[in-house]
Amino acid sequence: MSPRTTLLAAGELAAWWAGFALLWLVLISTVDTLERVIGAAAAALGALAARSARRAVSGP
Amino acid sequence: MNGWTLAATVGLAGGLGTALWGVATGPLRRRVVAQNLSTALACPGLLLLSQAYGRPSYVDLGLVLALLGPVGTLVFARLLADELAEDPPRAWGPTWAVAGLGAATVIALCVATGPSRAMVKLLVIGALLIGGNVIASRALSGGFRGVRRG
Repeated sequence: MSPRTTLLAAGELAAWWAGFALLWLVLISTVDTLERVIGAAAAALGALAARSARRAVSGP
Repeated sequence: MNGWTLAATVGLAGGLGTALWGVATGPLRRRVVAQNLSTALACPGLLLLSQAYGRPSYVDLGLVLALLGPVGTLVFARLLADELAEDPPRAWGPTWAVAGLGAATVIALCVATGPSRAMVKLLVIGALLIGGNVIASRALSGGFRGVRRG
């Protein structure tokens, strides 16, 4: 894995994470610290799953 | 009873009643379309009831339905692909009418809610509802036949 592909993978994961974290913040009722922590963790898992799904459909 | 309750009752009784009648009678091509539209009609009803009862958390029911309804239709489209290929449904009129009803409901609720996170949530639900049902309708009428083994 070259530095360029690592950077691309990290960038894609960060983009997915930002999208999911934003969606989480929109969908919850009250925003507090616990919700932010849980949302960040869930968005990280979602980002990994979304990248895997994207690669399974359209290739690496 | 306020206007929101009335709108939800009319939408659920008239729209969902008609859809259930369509699911229970007629040829397969009509049943699958009615099944697809039933969730698209129930979702705005749930959103209206949430506003009527003043319980914002009830909006989550509409969110779940907007997400899972089209997914359920896609399962039917996949399992009934052979039967539907022989007699494909053509129901863009009802599909867009129900999409318009969903859009009108979401816009009315957005106006009532005002600019806030809750309004963004309603817009997300509206986008899922309309986009999901248009995609599911296209799948039923054979629009994605090229990706059957994809």
